[in-house]
Amino acid sequence: MSKPTDLVQGTLDLLILKTVALEPMHGWAIAQRIRQVSGNVLQVNQGALYPALHRLEQQGWIQAEWGESENNRRAKYYSLTKAGKKYLQKEEANWERLSAAIGLVLKTV
Amino acid sequence: MRRLKSATHRFRSLFRKNVVESELDQELRFHLERQVAENLAAGMTPEEARRAAMREFGGVEQVKEECRDERRVNFFETVIQDVSYGLRTLRKNPGFAFFAVAVLALGIAASTAIFSIADAVLVRSLPYRNAERLVMVWEDSSAYGFPHDTPALGNFSDWKARNEVFEDMAATSFGGAFNLTGDGNPQEILGRSVTANLFSVLGASVALGRDFRAEDDIPGAAHVAILSHKLWVERFGGDPQIVGKEMRFNFEKYTVIGVMQLGFQFPDREAELWVPAQFTKERLSNHGNHFLEVVGRLKPGVPLKTANANLATIAKQIEKEHPDENAKIGAFAVPLREEISGDSRPAILVLVGAACFVLLIACANVANLLLARASGRRREMAMRLTLGASRGRVIRQMLTESLLLALLGGAAGLVLAFWGIPFLASLIPAGIAPLSKSEVNTHVLLFGLAVSIATGTLFGVFPALRVSGVDLSSSLKQGGGRDGVGTGGRRLRDVLVVCEVALAIVLLSGAALMIRSLENLYHLDPGFRAEHVLVMRTPLPRQKYEEFAARKAFYDEVLERVGNLPGVVAAGYTTWVPLTNTGGATGILIENQPVPPPGQRPIPNVRIVSKDYTRALTMKLIRGRLFDEHDGTGTQAVALINETMARQCWHGEDPIGRRFTRGGPTEKPEWVTVAGIVGDVHQAGLDVPARPEMYMPYEQQDFGYEPEYLVVRTVGEPMVLAGTVRKGVWAVDKEQPVADVMPLENLVDDNLAARRVQASLLGGFAGMALLLAALGIYAVLSFAVTQRTQEIGVRVALGAAPGDVLHLIFSHGLKLFVIGAAAGLTAALAMSRVLLHSLYGVSATDPASFVGVTILLAGVTLLACYIPARRAMRMDPMRSLRYE
Repeated sequence: MSKPTDLVQGTLDLLILKTVALEPMHGWAIAQRIRQVSGNVLQVNQGALYPALHRLEQQGWIQAEWGESENNRRAKYYSLTKAGKKYLQKEEANWERLSAAIGLVLKTV
Repeated sequence: MRRLKSATHRFRSLFRKNVVESELDQELRFHLERQVAENLAAGMTPEEARRAAMREFGGVEQVKEECRDERRVNFFETVIQDVSYGLRTLRKNPGFAFFAVAVLALGIAASTAIFSIADAVLVRSLPYRNAERLVMVWEDSSAYGFPHDTPALGNFSDWKARNEVFEDMAATSFGGAFNLTGDGNPQEILGRSVTANLFSVLGASVALGRDFRAEDDIPGAAHVAILSHKLWVERFGGDPQIVGKEMRFNFEKYTVIGVMQLGFQFPDREAELWVPAQFTKERLSNHGNHFLEVVGRLKPGVPLKTANANLATIAKQIEKEHPDENAKIGAFAVPLREEISGDSRPAILVLVGAACFVLLIACANVANLLLARASGRRREMAMRLTLGASRGRVIRQMLTESLLLALLGGAAGLVLAFWGIPFLASLIPAGIAPLSKSEVNTHVLLFGLAVSIATGTLFGVFPALRVSGVDLSSSLKQGGGRDGVGTGGRRLRDVLVVCEVALAIVLLSGAALMIRSLENLYHLDPGFRAEHVLVMRTPLPRQKYEEFAARKAFYDEVLERVGNLPGVVAAGYTTWVPLTNTGGATGILIENQPVPPPGQRPIPNVRIVSKDYTRALTMKLIRGRLFDEHDGTGTQAVALINETMARQCWHGEDPIGRRFTRGGPTEKPEWVTVAGIVGDVHQAGLDVPARPEMYMPYEQQDFGYEPEYLVVRTVGEPMVLAGTVRKGVWAVDKEQPVADVMPLENLVDDNLAARRVQASLLGGFAGMALLLAALGIYAVLSFAVTQRTQEIGVRVALGAAPGDVLHLIFSHGLKLFVIGAAAGLTAALAMSRVLLHSLYGVSATDPASFVGVTILLAGVTLLACYIPARRAMRMDPMRSLRYE
């Protein structure tokens, strides 16, 4: 099981941004989705998720809105802002470059 | 945009705290419920589902706290929390708070007050346009003993015409006293004769009327004058119609054409009136009469070095063209700012340094107190750390407390400084900061604030680092809070005290050197006795006293009347009493000696005096005779010379009866016979050795300068006779202005004022340092005694004599003292050189001063050891063993 501390610093932010890029989502759904998509490899701890959400909101990459949840409860939905979209693109590119570079090193050495 | 949004978030978090909190609550609760629902769906019992969800989530409160942290509102909240907590702790411990605030207040007040002076003299810009381009230009007549001489008109004209570095140059001359006659008492106003371009060179403008024009400066043009703002207000009631009015100055009519801006002063505070000098062509080509003050405005971008090189080149040309008058006379420029701050600059810098030392000692003291207190709070902090506070958080809280102390100290210090600055400013004589006034302003306030914050951080950071870095389990396990900080903390406190002692030694030895210099100067024999001497000036209006006979009659009659007043021992006239003029010299040729080449002629000071002048000043007669009633008009011209002149001009031969003449080799000699040799009088300053000097009776010499100082030796307090003497003058001429009535001792005091201010401030700072260092030693030792209560109890119980306990405490205190004193003395010996310029008759490494202050501090240390030692000695061993 992957704890958040095992995630490279900043990776969680990237995952959250990517996840909410599809559609507005509340915290629980974000955690579920990351787990499902990663085939249960990445389990996001709530203790890390919510501070990260608040930080991203504070930084203006995502915005929050209260809405109706699938089980008819009030929930806080996060969605990507314009600035967040740009930031995500840049970070994705960075990640690609980094992982490609690491992959290269691992393969050749 | 993003920034704006995040700011609104933050504000929302700060001001709509409840809404934000409940939203956070709702969000997390929703998550939990969603998870419970999920677990139920997976087939758990409701009980299990809830427990599993909670387990997975972790600490709800912790998550909340981290979310709050992310929103960063916490910053404000914690500050408020910390401040109120800090205030509470301080209130709980009023003794500590009061002491710390008082110590800091002293340090901050000292540094702020000195800063206000430094700011006024050295930093604040001068009230002229592009003042950094203004320079004063002087002649360098070092060869004749005047390295900083007033230029001759001819030289000024040549500089102005030939230079390539100045936009323009203006000259002013010591215009002397203008007697304002007409309505009211005769009043003397110090005025300046100036070239018409003076104000435009300075970049100053009139508040009322107009500036001088070139045509005002042509010889014979109608007399015009510009008044200072002060004169306009004080003498003319701020009359808005003043421009165009006629005044009578020195019995001549002047039309007022303008009033300067409030606060404008040039070249010094005293000048209140400016008139065009109207130099004639003939005077403008005179290279021998040196009396101007010249100010120049450098062209933009011209460095001082270039200007000086250019001036030197021109001076060489002038020297070639006028070898008789200008041999070995150079020229140089000094930035106006430097000219104004002058000698006060190094003195002020020394005081700034001293104030910083006091502040550092105060910081060390408070840091020490905080360390001692911190050891008591070690458990509190350990508890906080265990409960999850981060180290940064604990440091922040400690720093908030120390900043709080510093700001309180700073506020108290500023109050002290406000009260002290006018006092300091009044101590500073006109000469030390002629154009600026020290005052409380935003500069000073900002400085005080900055110093408070800096000190708060400085003395707070050690204890904070120390306490926050504790080993949790061991401090929680420790019984009391007593032996908290352990040896490391004790060593840090010892080091701080050693530093205090060292700094105190440096300050004390500096102060001791200054005080010894001052003492030397007060006890120095200046060649005259200043006690019981009344001085006043009666400058004769030129127009009224054009005739030599009229002047002579005036002096004769005044001296006759004043000399016969009851309570008067002797009355005399002189051109300048000591300490009023550094120059006033004339070239001479000596009979039967070869004519020296240009530049090597003796140029003694000359003083035109009445026959009783030497008696009024109690000057010493070395050989020959003083003036008597036979030395009158028509008899053989005689002179008294001082010892320096006798030595330098007659090279060991007996000068009595020998003759010399004033003027150059081409002039017809008018022989003057040396009648006597008198002791050297310190004319230029108490600490300035005498130049060659001669005295001549006014009856025999019709000089350019006339005697104007009336000097009266009295039996009792001199000022008691001031009114009577003044009336005596007015009985001779009821229109005669009388100025500068004062005891001669005032001049002596003024001459030493800068030194006295420096010595007393340095002494004051040293006193503070001594007190603070003693308190530091005391605090450390009494803390050590408390800490070692048990140990001491055991020792006593095992049979240690009171002497052993005493020894324990004293050896600790003395060890601190010895290390501190050794470091301090080393530093003081290295640093005392910065005082060299203000020392007199004492070397910068004067052993007596250094030994003296060491003994003083040793005594104070013993005293500071004694009180805690006595407490330790009287401890009841049973009680101290039980003490827990």
